[in-house]
Amino acid sequence: MIPPALYLALSAVIFTIGVIGVLLRRDAIVIFMCIEMMLSAVGITLIAASRYLHSMDGVIFVFLAMTVAAAEAAVGLAIFVLLHRIYKGVKVDEINLMKW
Amino acid sequence: MSLGEVIFVVICLVVALGALGAVLSNSLIYAVFFLLLTMGGIGGLYIYLKTPFLAMMQILIYLGAVGVLLIFAVMLAGPFWRRPKERGPFLKGVAGLGVSLLSFILFWRVLRHHPWEVGPQGEVSTSRIGRAILDRYPFAFELISLLIVASILGAIMLGVLSRQGPPKAEED
Repeated sequence: MIPPALYLALSAVIFTIGVIGVLLRRDAIVIFMCIEMMLSAVGITLIAASRYLHSMDGVIFVFLAMTVAAAEAAVGLAIFVLLHRIYKGVKVDEINLMKW
Repeated sequence: MSLGEVIFVVICLVVALGALGAVLSNSLIYAVFFLLLTMGGIGGLYIYLKTPFLAMMQILIYLGAVGVLLIFAVMLAGPFWRRPKERGPFLKGVAGLGVSLLSFILFWRVLRHHPWEVGPQGEVSTSRIGRAILDRYPFAFELISLLIVASILGAIMLGVLSRQGPPKAEED
């Protein structure tokens, strides 16, 4: 039996790496990947909790979060490709199309 | 230490190192592959948590759909090998660590002081997941399908927009 604290610790490590990546990197695609990583880290926590509490709710939440992540990927990457044609490289501090 | 535990430790290491590689790698395409490594490892963890349905979902959605999309985006947004090295200020990394630590302490205190109730034993099977979705969360399920349709339409609209030629970046 693997202790649940191990899952929580691993999830915390991945979430921390994701937060640092979002703050440190300027490439929008890498930031997007870090957000996906953070979503998955929370998924580990939820499923570990629902496994050790014998509940179904965490599994459903992760199912819904995965679907949201897929929808986000579809729209986000289309926006990145479009932005790349305008700016030649998707750096988040150079994109100011909606600033007036 | 049994074989299962050894494999578990290996999966944990793969997940953590893959996440580090995705954040620290200078090449965009390597970062994508490191991310896919992490996602596959997380799918393995789901199998250890006795939810094979979600493991399959993870592999299908992240390795299949999101991974292919990311690789397409990186290839279309290339040339990825000529990117200059970019690294934000070191202080931002420390800030990220601090934010994560604070939220970790907060959640730890909440987790410790919350009276958790353990439900009845039961395997998390696919049929139970389906029943729970249709019995307890039908509204969320419908909303999620609406969201997927909206996002597909949005992606198609963006594709149409990009075919019409890029708008002017500098108007003034």
